[in-house]
Amino acid sequence: MVVINMNSIGEECNKLKHEYDTCFNKWFAEKFLKGESNDECVSLFKKYQDCVKKAIEAQKIDLWELEKDVLGTEQEQKPNPKKRSDGKT
Amino acid sequence: MKIWTTEHIFSHPWETVVQAVWQKYPNPMNPAVVGVDVVDRRVTKGVLKTHRLISTKWGLPSSVTKVLGADRMFYASEHSVVDPVKKSMILMSKNITFCKEVSIVEKMTYSPHPSKEDCTIVKQKAEVTIHGIPLSSYLEGFITGKISVNSSKGKQGMEWVITKINKDVQELTSKTVKSMDDLVHLSGEPLTNFSFRK
Repeated sequence: MVVINMNSIGEECNKLKHEYDTCFNKWFAEKFLKGESNDECVSLFKKYQDCVKKAIEAQKIDLWELEKDVLGTEQEQKPNPKKRSDGKT
Repeated sequence: MKIWTTEHIFSHPWETVVQAVWQKYPNPMNPAVVGVDVVDRRVTKGVLKTHRLISTKWGLPSSVTKVLGADRMFYASEHSVVDPVKKSMILMSKNITFCKEVSIVEKMTYSPHPSKEDCTIVKQKAEVTIHGIPLSSYLEGFITGKISVNSSKGKQGMEWVITKINKDVQELTSKTVKSMDDLVHLSGEPLTNFSFRK
């Protein structure tokens, strides 16, 4: 079985990302889709997430956040860009 | 503003298709996507919520990248929700790069086909708005044209990934069957005589 992995935005995070992705893909297919929602990859994700957040900050990327957690609900609306500290978007 | 929509049917069950969404990249049909990162992910009331950052290269010609020093990166932020009980996957992405001038909001939903067994229907909608720069209608049309081309490539990319996933499952099943055959052959006992510990 040949596995080709996608890279991270931070090269230093690639190994952590691949370990997490492997865990997640297995858990998603074998557990989550069958109704078991206990995330087994939390500790791997935490290590990977810490690395990615540093890489995103270093590259000065301003992530867009949905203002309300409404995706998939009746109140779903077009998301607005995150406001900067000076009030502009 | 320009709106573009499309629908497509995958001849694969919903469970297989949503797995392929997470494993979509890299694939040979979409070489421009160079990075996919999970920024946040959590399960809330049995529903999986994910926030991802997608990094794409513009694909500028080498004559231009030599001058610039490198190809340019385009970033998009994607939020998604997977409900395994309702069998629904919804993704919404928005560009981060050039977000003051251009707004590209895409929404995709994956659901089991209402009448075709073991098939999945995907609906895609893109809203493109240009503001503050000239030729806005032309640019909106140009971008939705690109989205349309990428959408077709994306479907091919998904088929490629699904084939890979099914092949991996088949290989694993064959290995398991072979192991069982070897076990039966060595012991000389029929399979029904084995009891498995729970």
